[in-house]
Amino acid sequence: MWKIIKNEWKYYGRTPWLLGISVGFVLVLFLSIWLGNFQTQKQTERYNTASNELRAQWESIDAMNPHNAAHYGTYVFKPANMLSSLDEGVNSITGNVLRLEGHVQNEIVHSEASQMQTISKFGKLKSSLLLQYIVPILLIFLAFSSISNEKRSGRLKLLILQGAKPISLIFAKTLSIWLYGVGLLVLTIMAYSLFHLNDLNVEVLGRTTLLLVSYSLYYFIITGLTVFFSARWENSTIALTSMLGIWIIWTIFLPNILMSSVEKWHDLPSRNEFKAAMQEDRSKGLDGHNPSDERAKELEEKVLVEYGVDSLSQLPINFDGLVMQEDEEYGNKVWDKHFGELRKVLASQKKSYQMGGLFDPFISLQNASMGFAGNDNLHHQEFLVQVENYRRVFIKMLNDKHAYGGSETGDWGWEADNEFFKSVPDFEYKPTALASVFPHYITDVLLLVGWSILVLSLIVFGAKKMQVL
Amino acid sequence: MSMIQLKNVNKSFKGQPAVQNLNLQVKEGEILGLLGANGAGKSTTINMLLGFLSPDSGIVSIEGMETSKEEKKVRKLIGYIPENVNLYPYLSGLENLDYFCKLAGMKYSKTELHEFLTRCGLQSDAHDKKVSEYSKGMRQKVGIAIAYAKKAKVYLLDEPASGLDPLASNELSEILKKLAADGATILMASHDIFRVREVCHRIGILKQGELVKELRSEEVSANELEKLYLEYMTN
Repeated sequence: MWKIIKNEWKYYGRTPWLLGISVGFVLVLFLSIWLGNFQTQKQTERYNTASNELRAQWESIDAMNPHNAAHYGTYVFKPANMLSSLDEGVNSITGNVLRLEGHVQNEIVHSEASQMQTISKFGKLKSSLLLQYIVPILLIFLAFSSISNEKRSGRLKLLILQGAKPISLIFAKTLSIWLYGVGLLVLTIMAYSLFHLNDLNVEVLGRTTLLLVSYSLYYFIITGLTVFFSARWENSTIALTSMLGIWIIWTIFLPNILMSSVEKWHDLPSRNEFKAAMQEDRSKGLDGHNPSDERAKELEEKVLVEYGVDSLSQLPINFDGLVMQEDEEYGNKVWDKHFGELRKVLASQKKSYQMGGLFDPFISLQNASMGFAGNDNLHHQEFLVQVENYRRVFIKMLNDKHAYGGSETGDWGWEADNEFFKSVPDFEYKPTALASVFPHYITDVLLLVGWSILVLSLIVFGAKKMQVL
Repeated sequence: MSMIQLKNVNKSFKGQPAVQNLNLQVKEGEILGLLGANGAGKSTTINMLLGFLSPDSGIVSIEGMETSKEEKKVRKLIGYIPENVNLYPYLSGLENLDYFCKLAGMKYSKTELHEFLTRCGLQSDAHDKKVSEYSKGMRQKVGIAIAYAKKAKVYLLDEPASGLDPLASNELSEILKKLAADGATILMASHDIFRVREVCHRIGILKQGELVKELRSEEVSANELEKLYLEYMTN
């Protein structure tokens, strides 16, 4: 079998047009990595600068009322993932900047897509675009006549007479073309690694290995299926047309049809509905600015008993701070409820969409690619949760300062000093560990393995049924 | 003992007979030429000998082994030269020979490979040229070298002289005679009456799958053979 593979590779190496395409393609791949890397670096620099400036502004607050500071708020920036230059996933549409303030959980804004001048179906030149769409096309063009050409030229008879087994022939053709695709993949990852030599760690290596495995499986599916068609039909045009048809259905139609269906099956509330529902629930709670409502009264009675005093003016603390924190905590519960429901729907959508991989391995590849690159919706949701957790700590510190910092109830003019503002910790994003999210992608990997086994069976079947004449 | 033997062989495709009650024998060192028009059953006969087609009835055997039952063993004995020997155009003649030999499980040194090609009539300055630069005759010589290097006992040739210039055709005849003299058994299907008459020891005329005439080549001149052939074809 290796003799046939070696011979195929000689063909790739000695065919000028193929060599030209390969070199051109590798250059475009490198360019896409460089561009992706350049963009990621620029974004990181921009966000670091903005983040540092904001922190400096925060730390330079001389004296301010903590609640005013809560309204003044701060911003957090979603850091660009190291693997963004391989697959940016949903990052270009989800937004990257989030304003944190008291009373409210703001939406993440400033998405890359919202600032684009032009819109392309396939987006920017990214290595994921090349690896997911273009490499498979290249593999189809290399494979569609691999066996039918041998048949048409009469060489197949000669090969079989010399002792080559049909199964070895089909496998060797599949493997040689597949290795070509894997070669492009490895080159991409090597080029990517060169840009990030200092950042390579076990986490990144684990993720890139899983990316490599997922793409390799998909390339095997595409190559094996094309070679099978080439062996099954004498006319290579039929093999090419069939495979291009499958490619179009897999990469363009099915993902879109399935996504629309999944959105219908697991309906997400519209932005307005979500906001209205949050407001509705929130309005039932405390009004942070008006301590005279019912819940505030209950809190007041509880605090007065706790401190053994008769009126708010006798309290050694600022009751307004407690009310605001109570309001925050109620708001957090409301947010947890609604955001939790939202996450449940998103999780159901993801699960249903994942099952689409039963009919379309491209769906599994896309899920795995975005996931292992750390740029899918799951990782985005993890980021939002971390930000919300930070917001809670941030606002609680301000409310506690307002309550226990030394001011009295009703004293909205009281100011905390610079030392306090400096002591408020900055947001620190902890990238989601692969181990904690890997179970979410097992389905995708298993489906890719399942498809590979199916294609393997087709190859064996094709070899048995292969007509030499 | 006959190396090639066909006994009461019948083969039809979709009810249309391609070979009917065919009986043939070719002995070791003998060259048999099969003459016939297109669709006479020459290629079907060769494909049955190659084991790519099974007869509907009758026995097709090489060295006593039925081709449809012991195809692997039989194929080791066969060298096949089609009308167009389609080699890999991006490899040289030498590389093609090396590749096909390795597929057959035979490893030769470069010197040996050069010797095979030279012996089969390919000029030494062409050995390392890409096959894409070869003429049809040169490719056929590499095809014969592949069979020769495989140590084939039986050579099956399907229209080997078709499209060759007279010089190349003559060279091919000489090579085949030499191979037969060395003990190879050759069955050659052709339209070329004169070439068959010149090369083969015996000649069979096939018409609509039936062997209508079998004779020794020394029994007739080329002109007589042509006359005889045309008579069979027109009647």
